Amino acid sequence: MLEIKNLHVKIEDEERQILKGLSLTVPKGEVHAIMGPNGSGKSTLAYVLAGRPGYEVTEGDILWNGESLLEMEPDERAAKGVFLAFQYPMEIPGVAGLTFLRTAANAVRKKRGEAELTTPEFMKVVREKAAKLNIDTEMLKRPVNVGFSGGEKKRSEILQMAMLEPTLCVLDETDSGLDIDALRIVADGVNALRGPDRAMLVITHYQRLLNYIVPDKVHVLSGGQIRKSGDKSLALELEKSGYKEYEGEAA
Amino acid sequence: MNVAVIKTKAEQAIPELFEKVADTLPGGAKAAPARREAMSRFAAIGLPHRRIEEWKYTDLRTSLKDALAPATEAGLSAEALTAALGPLAAVAGDRIVFVNGIYSAVLSTKFDSSGLLNVAPLSEALASGLANLGAIGADEGQNAVLALNAAFVTDGAVISVADGAEIDTPLLIVNVRAGKTAQSTATRNIINVGTKAKATIIEMFVVAAGATANAQANSATEIKAGDGAEVVHVKCVSDAGEVSHLSNWLVGLGTGTVYRGFQFTSGTRVTRNGINVTYGGENAKLDMSGAFLARGSEHIDTTLVVDHAVPKCESRELFKGVLANHSRGIFQGKIIVRPDAQKTDGKQMAQALMLSPDAEFDSKPELEIYADDVVCGHGSTVAEIDEDLMFYCQSRGIPPGTARALLVQSFIGEALEKIEIETLRDALTSTTLDWLDETKA
Repeated sequence: MLEIKNLHVKIEDEERQILKGLSLTVPKGEVHAIMGPNGSGKSTLAYVLAGRPGYEVTEGDILWNGESLLEMEPDERAAKGVFLAFQYPMEIPGVAGLTFLRTAANAVRKKRGEAELTTPEFMKVVREKAAKLNIDTEMLKRPVNVGFSGGEKKRSEILQMAMLEPTLCVLDETDSGLDIDALRIVADGVNALRGPDRAMLVITHYQRLLNYIVPDKVHVLSGGQIRKSGDKSLALELEKSGYKEYEGEAA
Repeated sequence: MNVAVIKTKAEQAIPELFEKVADTLPGGAKAAPARREAMSRFAAIGLPHRRIEEWKYTDLRTSLKDALAPATEAGLSAEALTAALGPLAAVAGDRIVFVNGIYSAVLSTKFDSSGLLNVAPLSEALASGLANLGAIGADEGQNAVLALNAAFVTDGAVISVADGAEIDTPLLIVNVRAGKTAQSTATRNIINVGTKAKATIIEMFVVAAGATANAQANSATEIKAGDGAEVVHVKCVSDAGEVSHLSNWLVGLGTGTVYRGFQFTSGTRVTRNGINVTYGGENAKLDMSGAFLARGSEHIDTTLVVDHAVPKCESRELFKGVLANHSRGIFQGKIIVRPDAQKTDGKQMAQALMLSPDAEFDSKPELEIYADDVVCGHGSTVAEIDEDLMFYCQSRGIPPGTARALLVQSFIGEALEKIEIETLRDALTSTTLDWLDETKA
C-alpha cells in the first residue's frame, strides 16, 4: 500500500511550495488516477515518489508497504518496487537498449535477492515482453530512446516497467504525444501489468487515457493538494466542466 | 623567432645515442644519408615547445626529460602476446607483429605475395629495395618528431594493396613493448592502397606483462589511398606507465577516396597524435574520429590538420575524451580550405567529459577558409555527467557507480559507434569499462 501523508514539497533553493499537504492512499491491486490542471504539482509528485534530486520534502512522509521512501536513493526505491514511467523518456546515446534493460533488470534482481538473468534467459524474457508491446528487438539494439518517435519512447518505458516487475507503478502523462493506436498499445501493456500485488498511480491531464486504463479511483490535484476524489465518473465530469472550479488556492 | 635556446638534457643526449646506434640500424649504407640528414634536421629544430603554436599545450622540452636508448630485441610467446592484447585479441585479422619495434616473424601471419596484397616488414623491404629509405622523411620539414622517427626508425609495416583489390581481412599492425629495460622505439608504416582498392588497417600499441613502464614510442604512418579507394584505418593505444607516445599520421587521399580513420588512446603519460590529411582529388570523403581516456596526470593531445586543397571534398571529425583526476586533454583541429576548394563540406566536433573539477580540456578549432562557397562548421563541448540521466538510470534500479559507468560508455560510445568492426568496437568498449573500474574519482 502506498500512503502519502501530508506531503509538503518545494524545489531546492526556491521558496515556493509545490505540494502543500498532499495526502493519498493507494492500496495494492488498485489503479488510481491523478488529474489536474497544468502546474498543479502532478509531475512533482511523480518525481518525489521516484526520488529525483532537486526536490525538498519539508513536511510529511511517503510510505510504501509501511516503509518510508524519503531517505532512499532512487535505485533503492526501484529495488523496493517503485517505477516511474517518464513523461519525457530520456535518450542515452551510445548505450544499446538491450544493455540498458539487462543492466537494470539484473541490478534490481540482485538487490531483491533474486538470481540474475543469464543472457539467453534475458533474451527470452525481453523478446516475449517486447513482442506484446509491438517492439522489434532490432529497435532494442539501437541506443536507448535515440531517434525514437514519441510512441516508441513510451512503449520503451512500458517495456522497462515490464522487465523490472515493479509493485508500484507511477505513470506520468503517459498519454502525451501518443496517437490513438500507440495509446492503445501502451494501455494494453499497462493493463497486462495490473494485478492484486500491484498499485498504480496514473497521472494525466486528459480523461482520454482513462478510457483505456480504467481507474478504481480518480483524484483531482490542484494547488498542491488533493481537492476531490471519486470513481471513474469524476474523470468524465472533469472532461466536461474542466478544472475551473478547482483553480486557485485551497481553503 | 630564432632565439638560441639552451639544449635540454634529452636534446643533447639524442644525437649521441644516434651516433652509437646509427651503424646498426636497418637499411645500412643506403639508408644512412637519409638518417643522418634527419638527425641533423632534428638537431637544428630541437624538441618542440610551447612557444611553437602547434605545440602550445604539449611541451616536449619539459615532458621528454631523458632520451632513452633504442629498444633491443625481446622474446615474446604467442600466449604473452594474447595476454598483452587483452580485449584487442578478439579482433580477427592478419597480423604483422613488432616487439620493441622489431619485426617478429614467429608471431606474424605468413603473408604470401598474392599480387593483390603485399605485406613486408620495413627492415626487410629496405634490404630488398622494396622501400626506399633514401626518401624517408625527405619532405617532412620542421616536424621534429618525424625527423626523430626518420633517424631512428627500426621497422614497421610496408603494405601495398593492388589496384582494384578488395582485402576483406583486416591487417593488424601490432606493436608490443616487452622486457624490463627502459626503451625508446621508432617505427614507420608505409601503406599504399591502390585505385578502387579496399583495405582495413588497424594499428595496435600494447604492453606485455612485466615490461618496463618507462618508454618512449615514436610511430609514423604514411598512407596513400588511391582514387576511389575505400580505407578504414584505426590506431588503438592501450598502454600503462611513464610512457610517451608520439605519433604522426600522414594521409593522402585521391579522387573519390573514402577514408575512415579512428584513434583510441588510453594509458600513456604523454601522447601526441599528429594527423595530417591532404586531399589530392575531388569528391573524397574523410571521417577522422577518436576517443581518449586520461587520468592521473596523463596528457593526451590530438592535433589535426586537414588540408582541403581541391574542391568538392567532405571532412568529418568527432573526437571525444573522458578526463579524470588532474589529466589534460587537447584537441587542435585545423581545417584549411584553399581558394580553389569550392563546395567543401567540413564539420568538426570535439567533446570532453570531465570526471573531476581538476581535469583540463583545451580545444582549439582553427578554420582557415579561403574559398567562398563552402559549408564548414565546428563545435566543442565540455561537460560533467548529466544529473538528469543519472536519475533516469537510478530510477531503473541501476546503482550510482554502474549508472556513471553507463553514462561514460554512452559518451564515448557515440565516438566508438564510428567503428564498424564489431569485435573492435566491443574490445574498445570493454577497455573503456575496465578503465572506469580502475579510475578513482
